[in-house]
Amino acid sequence: MLPRLQRFADVLVGEKREGKALLRRALHLMLAEHHRYQRGTPLDRFAFTEIYRVWLGELRDHADPLRQAKSSDEDFDRLFPKDRGADLDAFTATFLGQLPPQQRTTLLLVYGEGFDYVGAAKVLDSDADTIQARLIRASASLADRLSSGSPARKKASTTIETLYPAEATGIRP
Amino acid sequence: MTELSDELLVAYVDGQLVREQTRSVEKVLEHDDVVARRVEALKDAHGRFESAFEAILAGELIEILAAPVLPPRPKRKRGNGLAKIGIAVVGIGIALAVLVGGYSWPLVLRACSVTGPVATMHDAPAKAQSAPSAY
Repeated sequence: MLPRLQRFADVLVGEKREGKALLRRALHLMLAEHHRYQRGTPLDRFAFTEIYRVWLGELRDHADPLRQAKSSDEDFDRLFPKDRGADLDAFTATFLGQLPPQQRTTLLLVYGEGFDYVGAAKVLDSDADTIQARLIRASASLADRLSSGSPARKKASTTIETLYPAEATGIRP
Repeated sequence: MTELSDELLVAYVDGQLVREQTRSVEKVLEHDDVVARRVEALKDAHGRFESAFEAILAGELIEILAAPVLPPRPKRKRGNGLAKIGIAVVGIGIALAVLVGGYSWPLVLRACSVTGPVATMHDAPAKAQSAPSAY
């Protein structure tokens, strides 16, 4: 399970070094507050939830959370093993790197971890509609770019994603 | 051309629709090339996301496997329990012997071996008889 947790933290943060540090902090917290674990909850879901909670809590302490949450394309590219060579889909990797952390993590939970919309919503402290909206936006955006055949580095679909609930901003994510 | 939203098509590709809705979409796909192409593009996107996340996981595995494994700590030798008990019993035995025999019992034994045979019980009355009576 450790590689999966590491991947979750890395994808959330958008880079390897900070992802590892986040996972370490989250694991320490999980051990210290193990009473928070409710019997019957899948351990992976509990761990993902805690990592996300730690990340969000720390992010909110920053004066400019949106800027803090951004990662560079180079850092995100380093999440992919270099020796995969031709197998690596650089286009999709770049696309993922440009997404906001929550949208990227939503994709990971549903397409990488196989969570359903409700399960992903619980991890990300959200609701199933928001999860679905994020998936539609990301999938449609990548499908559009693939159909047009232009790997232009547009940042469509990423601009209205915020770190705060839709109710607070008045924007439907 | 039938208008189907991306919302519906993504849910279809993700397998989130109920059976009746799935059948309805499939019927449309049979007759509408535009919608069919859109579904193919969404499936392609879906597959690319999955592959990308698998690649990241493969990288994590490679990194974890490549990490140096620290040698296991040498286990502290635990003494044999029986030996400990034996030593304790012997120690207690010696302590009891000292208590019963007095602190000088080794010296008494040495003195006996130097001065000669130990007097027997039979010798004592004879000596007593030979001694002049005070009365």
